[in-house]
Amino acid sequence: MSFLSIQGLHKSYAATSIFSDINCEIGKGEFVTLLGPSGCGKSTLLRCIAGLTEVNGGKILLEGNDLVPLSPQKRDIGMVFQSYALFPNMSVQQNVAFGLRMQKVSKDDSAKRVKEALDMVELGTFADRYPHQLSGGQCQRVALARSLVTRPRLLLLDEPLSALDARIRKHLREQIRSIQQELGLTTIFVTHDQEEALTMSDRIFLMNAGKIVQSGDAETLYTAPVDAFAAGFIGNYNLLDADAASRLLLRPVNSRVAIRPEAISLGNGDIDAQVRSHSLLGNVIRYRVEARGVELLVDVLNRSADDVHNNGTHLTLSIDSNAIREVA
Amino acid sequence: MSRVETRAAGLYHRTVVTVLFLILLLPLAGTLLYSVSTSWSATILPDGLTLKWYAQLWTDPRFLTAFGQSLLVCFGALLLSVVLILPLLFVVHYHFPKLDGLMNILILLPFAVPPVVSSVGLLQIYGSGPLAMVGTPWILIGCYFTVALPFMYRAITNNLQAINLTDLMDAAHLLGASTWKAAFLVVLPNLRKGLMVSLFLSFSFLFGEFVFANLLVGTRYETLQVYLNNMKNSSGHFNSALVISYFFFVLLFTWAANRLNKDKA
Repeated sequence: MSFLSIQGLHKSYAATSIFSDINCEIGKGEFVTLLGPSGCGKSTLLRCIAGLTEVNGGKILLEGNDLVPLSPQKRDIGMVFQSYALFPNMSVQQNVAFGLRMQKVSKDDSAKRVKEALDMVELGTFADRYPHQLSGGQCQRVALARSLVTRPRLLLLDEPLSALDARIRKHLREQIRSIQQELGLTTIFVTHDQEEALTMSDRIFLMNAGKIVQSGDAETLYTAPVDAFAAGFIGNYNLLDADAASRLLLRPVNSRVAIRPEAISLGNGDIDAQVRSHSLLGNVIRYRVEARGVELLVDVLNRSADDVHNNGTHLTLSIDSNAIREVA
Repeated sequence: MSRVETRAAGLYHRTVVTVLFLILLLPLAGTLLYSVSTSWSATILPDGLTLKWYAQLWTDPRFLTAFGQSLLVCFGALLLSVVLILPLLFVVHYHFPKLDGLMNILILLPFAVPPVVSSVGLLQIYGSGPLAMVGTPWILIGCYFTVALPFMYRAITNNLQAINLTDLMDAAHLLGASTWKAAFLVVLPNLRKGLMVSLFLSFSFLFGEFVFANLLVGTRYETLQVYLNNMKNSSGHFNSALVISYFFFVLLFTWAANRLNKDKA
């Protein structure tokens, strides 16, 4: 039996359904990401698991016990918010100790555990600071320590990195992942950023319009999107309708086709093409080319000056046949 | 802009501010000087200086009673405000955010209806019947509550909007705190500043309130302003001492409010 099992969960506000019949199983120690565009219901689902939002039906079984009738205080769940939600009137030390204070843990024990938690997020020397004296990244690490110190059974992260700048985001991403693995803590992470989802997760649940569209590890999600939404949301897939696909591939195709831009190679193939535009993304050059009347994105590794083709250049291309995916 | 123009503009700005200050301060300075002079009628400067008017004022039992009664009515009204408004604000902002619009209209009412008009209504309702409170300090406490409401509601609402109430409450709940504990340990301490500032401002305002006090209660429970009004036929020096005493007391409170406003800003 899985550690966390969500069965037929349903949530609606008045007549508007946020999500319905959500089912998923999460194993102990797994790092699971709910990925989807804003408004897809992922944050609401997380809040329902935490008990901050009431559900209209279904079960949330944690180690076999249904959480739905329990108040958030009794669920033994830690959560980190996008807004940090640190208590401004308390020092870092008092913030982290808050949960232990509510559990009436003894002073000595509490002080020791707070110190451990702060050391874990590398903020041991910041105990006496106040939240307004910290940077965004530091605030979020305090919030992480605060949610870990009570040793919750489940950790929920609601877009914790979205308010931070790129460099800090990347660092904190690695830190969260390594702490999670060290503690073997079952974690559900909510994000709209595919890169975060792909790099951090054991498993990804891709959500759209209140439904789980696809679930699987990063590799599966990236290479084998089940439908046009999945292909459009992850990576920069070329999505061709049946007509365009038939023209390009010179064979009848009955469904839409998704082709990854890096599965197309330039300069050696039998399809004539012309470069429309190109942009340098650093290690990758992204071309917009036209082949047989179809516009395609092509990613090429930027190894040398030979890889750069000017706009208007005529060349040929080939498409890895394994990478041509027919999607619904 | 050239250097010369800047200097000229600077001079102009400074002159405006100085003149404005003089216009505001001169009457006060005059009153202050009058309150410490033995007599001052036919000469440019007073004949001599004395503190006897202050001594007379601060030993007058009627003044001391009025002063004490003013304090009591103000503190009573502010206590009532805190007890009623804090939970109200919490409920409005945490559970029914849509009510904030209605509250904003409600708190405008004390400004929209002039005190003279509303006292007529209050006299009608509370003059007789089961709630005959006219002439007692209780009606003033209730009435001052409505006067203090807009100040307190706005100041504390601004304070509440600066903190992320929902997320803070959610975080506290998940860490095991009940709603009561979360409100007392997490929300209330963060409202301290707005609360104190609005209390001091309301106090300064209520302490000088005259219309309601005179019309609803009058001499039956004399407050400071009503006392001042009743003493208008006595010595001008004595009245000046009264005005200056009152002014310094309010100044002290306003200064305290400003100090609190700057702290932790």
